[in-house]
Amino acid sequence: MPEEYTPPASPTASYYDLSDDDEDYSTITHTSTGRGVKLLYTKSKVYVHPTPSAKDNIPGFIALIQQKPPPSENTSSAPAGTVDPAHLLLAWLPESALGSAYDTYVKVDLLDTSLPPKQTYLVPPVPISAGNSSLGSYSFSVPVSQIYSLLVRPPSLGWWWGSIVINSRGGDGFPALFFHDSECASTIAQSKARARENFDPFGENGEMFWGGDEVLRWLKRFVKVERSEVEKTVYLINPSKDDLLSFGQKPVIDSIAAKKNAEAAGSSSNNGVAAVMDPFTKAIKSARWTLLERFARVTQFSRQTASNLLDNPNLPPQVRKLLRNPDVINLQDDFDSARLYLARWAMGIAEQSEKERAQIVWKREDMMEMEDSAVGEFEILDIEAGNLKTDTDRRRPVEMEEWESWFNKSSGRLEITVDEVKERIFHGGCDQAVRKEAWPFLLEVYPWDSTKDERSALMNSRRDEYVRLKGKWWDDVSRREGQGEAGEYWRDQRNRIEKDVHRTDRNIPIFAGEDTPHPDPDSQFSTIGTNVHLEQMKDMLLTYNEYNTTLGYVQGMSDLLAPIYAVFQDDAMAFWAFVGFMERMERNFLRDQTGMRAQLVALDQLVMLMDPVLWKHLEKAESTNFFFFFRMILVWYKREFEWNDVLRLWESMWTNYLSGQFHLFITLAVLERHRAVIMDHLQHFDEVLKYINELSGTIELNSTLIRAEALFYKFQRTVEASDRKHGFPSPGTATPIVKLTHRRSTSSASGSSAAAANKGKAAAVDGPEITEPLRSLLSRDIIRVEKKEPQDVTAEAAGKGKTPMRG
Amino acid sequence: MAGSRNYDFLIKLLLIGDSGVGKSCCLLRFSEDSFTPSFITTIGIDFKIRTIDLDGKRIKLQIWDTAGQERFRTITTAYYRGAMGILLVYDVTDERSFNNIQTWFQNVEQHATEGVNKILIGNKCDWEEKRVVSTERGQALANELGIPFMEVSAKANINVEEAFLLLARDIKKRIMDSSAGDKERQGTVNVNETNPTAAGKCC
Repeated sequence: MPEEYTPPASPTASYYDLSDDDEDYSTITHTSTGRGVKLLYTKSKVYVHPTPSAKDNIPGFIALIQQKPPPSENTSSAPAGTVDPAHLLLAWLPESALGSAYDTYVKVDLLDTSLPPKQTYLVPPVPISAGNSSLGSYSFSVPVSQIYSLLVRPPSLGWWWGSIVINSRGGDGFPALFFHDSECASTIAQSKARARENFDPFGENGEMFWGGDEVLRWLKRFVKVERSEVEKTVYLINPSKDDLLSFGQKPVIDSIAAKKNAEAAGSSSNNGVAAVMDPFTKAIKSARWTLLERFARVTQFSRQTASNLLDNPNLPPQVRKLLRNPDVINLQDDFDSARLYLARWAMGIAEQSEKERAQIVWKREDMMEMEDSAVGEFEILDIEAGNLKTDTDRRRPVEMEEWESWFNKSSGRLEITVDEVKERIFHGGCDQAVRKEAWPFLLEVYPWDSTKDERSALMNSRRDEYVRLKGKWWDDVSRREGQGEAGEYWRDQRNRIEKDVHRTDRNIPIFAGEDTPHPDPDSQFSTIGTNVHLEQMKDMLLTYNEYNTTLGYVQGMSDLLAPIYAVFQDDAMAFWAFVGFMERMERNFLRDQTGMRAQLVALDQLVMLMDPVLWKHLEKAESTNFFFFFRMILVWYKREFEWNDVLRLWESMWTNYLSGQFHLFITLAVLERHRAVIMDHLQHFDEVLKYINELSGTIELNSTLIRAEALFYKFQRTVEASDRKHGFPSPGTATPIVKLTHRRSTSSASGSSAAAANKGKAAAVDGPEITEPLRSLLSRDIIRVEKKEPQDVTAEAAGKGKTPMRG
Repeated sequence: MAGSRNYDFLIKLLLIGDSGVGKSCCLLRFSEDSFTPSFITTIGIDFKIRTIDLDGKRIKLQIWDTAGQERFRTITTAYYRGAMGILLVYDVTDERSFNNIQTWFQNVEQHATEGVNKILIGNKCDWEEKRVVSTERGQALANELGIPFMEVSAKANINVEEAFLLLARDIKKRIMDSSAGDKERQGTVNVNETNPTAAGKCC
């Protein structure tokens, strides 16, 4: 906080002083001190969440406090009857710091706030702080005149607690304050009162009433509070005209969407029927599966009117022409799967037309089946995903200015909760420039609670450590010459790594060049040439073998390293970030494949739980091994998305914001997205595999992320509902692996026997059992490979001893 | 889907061999007649389709491509079972990949269907200045294993087509033989696991 704004450091005005200018108030002295400031309003059970762990949450009071103005400006600034906002403090104090004033706070919390305060309650003065966490207490107070805006997030889906973040004019960050409304006596009373008096439990804007509404109401009594038109969660405090202009103007309508519309309008107007084929071929090639999927959805959702499709005037003539022409298959010579698919699709249409001609009325079972399967589920999910999507503020990338605002200017220590950071990155991702800053935190190179100095010291030691590890093979001439068993192994590893690095992301500019002569004339690439970045990649992967001496290089690891290196372009930093990534990815590469199998099993159970109809279909298609997701899981969709999308997806998943295994919800989202095609057209494992493999490069990331998030919440609710039904499982009684039983599959032998084994509950089973693999998906922990040997000194020196925050 | 089939036989083939010998490149050359020098590593498993004419019959080849690294072998061996023909591929510029053919062959013997047709393929034969495995050594190994042998180059488009066709012809012969007379053998020739009626029959 800038010096010039600091009001008297510790107001020491006595109760008598204060009461002078408010003679109509009867005053109540805070007994123990005899001195104090006026506690106008307060609310209890407002928490700071210093870590993702609920254990660390600190309960406290948010309070609006009036302090005595310095004598010099006693009469100047504020007209009579109002309070100069410079003399109002918005503060947060932990319960533990209140001492004997606690009772006063409790009392004021319970006062009726619908009327102006009748009595004055005095409490000990609150020192003004800039939120620079005075020795971890997190308490702070800020003059209302110094508040620039409040970031207000009411409780909502996925936001268990509403929160408020204060942004000061000086640019200080304060910890987010979470309103635990269900514990707060005053909020409970106020919402009851609302329900009783108005039969309306909702707040001013139609949202559910919550504690944060009250804080806004307090402030509105003294200052102007304007909600931003652009960013609905931002409330400006006494905004200037400029502030209003920059926050108040209507946002420009999504320019991309507008452009698209314009383009679409343009192309349809100048498309003669005769000139149709070429642009259409072009269009279908670029749109590929996206377009085809839409067709599929049309067939799935409006089966009954499918034949009308051909006569639908809204259908572009070129598409109609395509549909009528079975030779369309030949258009797609260069795109085997599209041809395959179109053939199937055309077949579906043909069948449909036949049915219509024969005037076959749909049988009741068919209707039931339709209701049961696709439509209902999909619509619910779409509504949910739609709700998540509207919150565009959360989904813009974190830019440097925002990132920097989260850290204390001088110490460089994070000043908002780790959860807040993770939430933003999970939903919005990072701007390219922020990645270099944020990824070391996400990948456990830097502890979240570190200061700038600590980080730079840590990085220096890691740089040294990287050089030391690299020196282990670099300086070992006998190994490099391939002598002995160690030398043979090293050379084999080097050859594998080299082979793969030369075919990893070569389309990315930094990896593309081959203009540097290869340093090793014996190398298979000596005649081709290399570049400095490829050489760095090889060195890092070889050095990783010195760090992790048991794993050895496995294909896929170069895919995981390349984006990290490309972002940092700094070998030591990239190396340690890669080490952090490998902490969770190592299980994918184990010799016995247990890690991969465990994930495919979890996925199998997840689909069985979430979409039993689809699961049944996959079972019939012999596809419940889910092997077609092997590649996606092994290298985290590296081969499925374009480069920039991979960066965006990975940083989201690195946050562990919802789940340490969020990647499985991405998989589920992809599967659900293509549910209709899979159900209708794919009958065998090879068809499913081919279809899923060829989704590569066609998956739209944003909608997939939104859908995955919606699926996670749905999963969470399903588990909660199941737990309520079954009585919460005590950890002791659950067998380590409880087989997933579901009423839809209890007819199968294995299902019923497992149910029977489950403490004789078989008869009563009504709803799914939640297995351990499934329950683990709710955890935000990542799954690490257990190390049998104790970590060697190497890892210890590398800073592994210091456990970074997880979650 | 009955009635829509535009082929007489479906034959499943499988490409195996060390990482980097050029399995995916051979497949790309055969299925799409193209070549990419810096190809990506294969992760997991995939297949491509090409329909060919053999003696007036339309044969649909479904060719499975696998990851080469032994770390993934437990998974790829699961696909041995359905295969009717296996291409064992090594790189003539990579001694180790040649030496490992023995291991790959044992793997086939262990996991694949009995009587499966095999062929030994030495890829990158255009790269003479880097060659370390002579044609003679390749032929000698093939003789020892009792399987056909061919040197190919996916890059220079040498013999790739011929190698696949040779294998397909052998398989067709074996299937025609078994379905023509030897009823006992038919059970062991699992033509297409997921859809047994699709192969060995005309329509």
